[in-house]
Amino acid sequence: MIDVNHLSKDYLLKKKAPGLKGALKGLIHPQFEVIHAVRDLSFHIDEGEIVGFIGPNGAGKSTTIKMMSGILTPTEGSVRINGENITEHRKTVVRNIGVVFGQRSQLNWDLRLGETFELLKHIYEIDPIDYENTLEVMDGILGIRELIDKPVRQMSLGQRVKGDLTASMLHSPSVLFLDEPTIGLDVSSKFALRRFIKEINQIRKTTVILTTHDLGDIKELCERLIIINHGVMMEDGKLSQIVDRIAPYKTLVAEYYDEQAPEHEKCEMTFHEGNIAKYRFMKKDITAAELIADLSRQKEIKDVSIEEAGIDDIIKIAYGSGSIL
Amino acid sequence: MKKYLYIIKTQIIKSMTYEFNVYGNIVMQTIIMITSSYFWKALYRNQNSAAGVNAEDMLTYIIMSSVLSVLLITNVERRIEQSVGKGTVATDMMKPVNLFGVYFAEDIGSILALVFQNMLPILLIGSLLIKVPVMKDSGDLPLFLLSVLLSFLINWLIAALFGMIAFTAVNISALIQVKKHLIRLLSGSIIPIWFFPESVSKVLSALPFIYIYQLPLSIYIGRGSRAEHLAQLQIQFVWLLILAGVFVAVQRQVTRKVMVQGG
Repeated sequence: MIDVNHLSKDYLLKKKAPGLKGALKGLIHPQFEVIHAVRDLSFHIDEGEIVGFIGPNGAGKSTTIKMMSGILTPTEGSVRINGENITEHRKTVVRNIGVVFGQRSQLNWDLRLGETFELLKHIYEIDPIDYENTLEVMDGILGIRELIDKPVRQMSLGQRVKGDLTASMLHSPSVLFLDEPTIGLDVSSKFALRRFIKEINQIRKTTVILTTHDLGDIKELCERLIIINHGVMMEDGKLSQIVDRIAPYKTLVAEYYDEQAPEHEKCEMTFHEGNIAKYRFMKKDITAAELIADLSRQKEIKDVSIEEAGIDDIIKIAYGSGSIL
Repeated sequence: MKKYLYIIKTQIIKSMTYEFNVYGNIVMQTIIMITSSYFWKALYRNQNSAAGVNAEDMLTYIIMSSVLSVLLITNVERRIEQSVGKGTVATDMMKPVNLFGVYFAEDIGSILALVFQNMLPILLIGSLLIKVPVMKDSGDLPLFLLSVLLSFLINWLIAALFGMIAFTAVNISALIQVKKHLIRLLSGSIIPIWFFPESVSKVLSALPFIYIYQLPLSIYIGRGSRAEHLAQLQIQFVWLLILAGVFVAVQRQVTRKVMVQGG
């Protein structure tokens, strides 16, 4: 489906010395610095997968998405979608892909939403029956028809994202790229978006590649994660496997009737304040039920909850800003 | 092809959104027409003809120059600059279209809208306030229309080539102004270059600019013989071929260099 081979992208950045003197110097004798935004990425994505592309700001996620969707030309390496090289056959390959950027809309500010759709219908030469069918499906998921006569400039962000999602699906692409689609959305719009991704993935077998900073998106949607940092691949695998490998623990939160909390030899107390104590335990050492049983034998427990070994922790570790305590 | 026609149609709809915008150009062209009509009337006070053109023909020339200027409004430079500057070039690149085909279709759409919003009002105002600009020899009409078509294409290609600079330089607003005034002054749109010293006019004849305004307008007012016009049309066509050649060579290079700002 999608083959990414040794993909790299370098930018030339003009070095600017501070101050007026530096500005003059840069004008006469500019110095350039090579930035390696993406370095030697290789991976393969199968049809029907939902892949989460995560990494801190400036990690090279968007650059990779832009190269995969034919917008930027790679410095080295290639992207093949259904066997065709996107740089060489951009105009034919892009018929098969849809792209949504959370931060920039492809909708036309001066037109009503429906007019943009009509324009896209002609640009992609979409069959009128397919077009109506897709609109019908999108109306079912996103309720798009009530927005169709609204000028885009009068839309809220949430409405605009719905419009952008529909616009990207009109030509029934087999691959959908979503670059931070949930950015700035309220909770209900976020839910609508997640439902949209799940449904098009199920109904149309659309392959979805999304970048996000929203942990909820990742938990809800992604079976597979690709984590990159500084343009280099850090992790690639099933979400659950990455969790098991990097953070194979759970945390038990117990509330007692007073401030004394018992210890347990098979786990570590990571937090104790007031009546509440947190225990971190390895899944292979002890089960949650055993731990609760052991603890309540020592002290009466008022309430318990279990924090699933966290994707948050994985992100922290992968982003290099935290470590397992 | 059909998709580009639809882009033209959409652009016409878009152009109708901001009707107020277009009145400014009518006012400006009216001022240009009236002031230059005073200018030429003063110059011709003591003589019937200069450089083979009489006062009446010169007035026709300036009115038609303003009318023609509407056809020669291009947005492609600013379009490229804005889409590179804001990063929206990404949304153009992800569609199965030729980027410059889209820009061309958009400019055609804007101009078609302007024919009614701008060109006809300017023609009407010129006719009422100065004179009715009648063509000297209506037999030249096909030749005139052909030269207008070629001048439109030459003008658009020059604009697109300037716009391409934005793909690497990002900010070219000053350059766009320079280009605009260069064309206005060197193309004979305000003062025909036959009034310039011979050496200057020879240099300008060797550049493509006079084939944008002066050639079609000369045909319109019947300055020069048909044989001369045909010879100049050939040069105009050669310029079109040269610019088209440069354009095709550069555009492929340039789209590979696309930068997307932000995000």
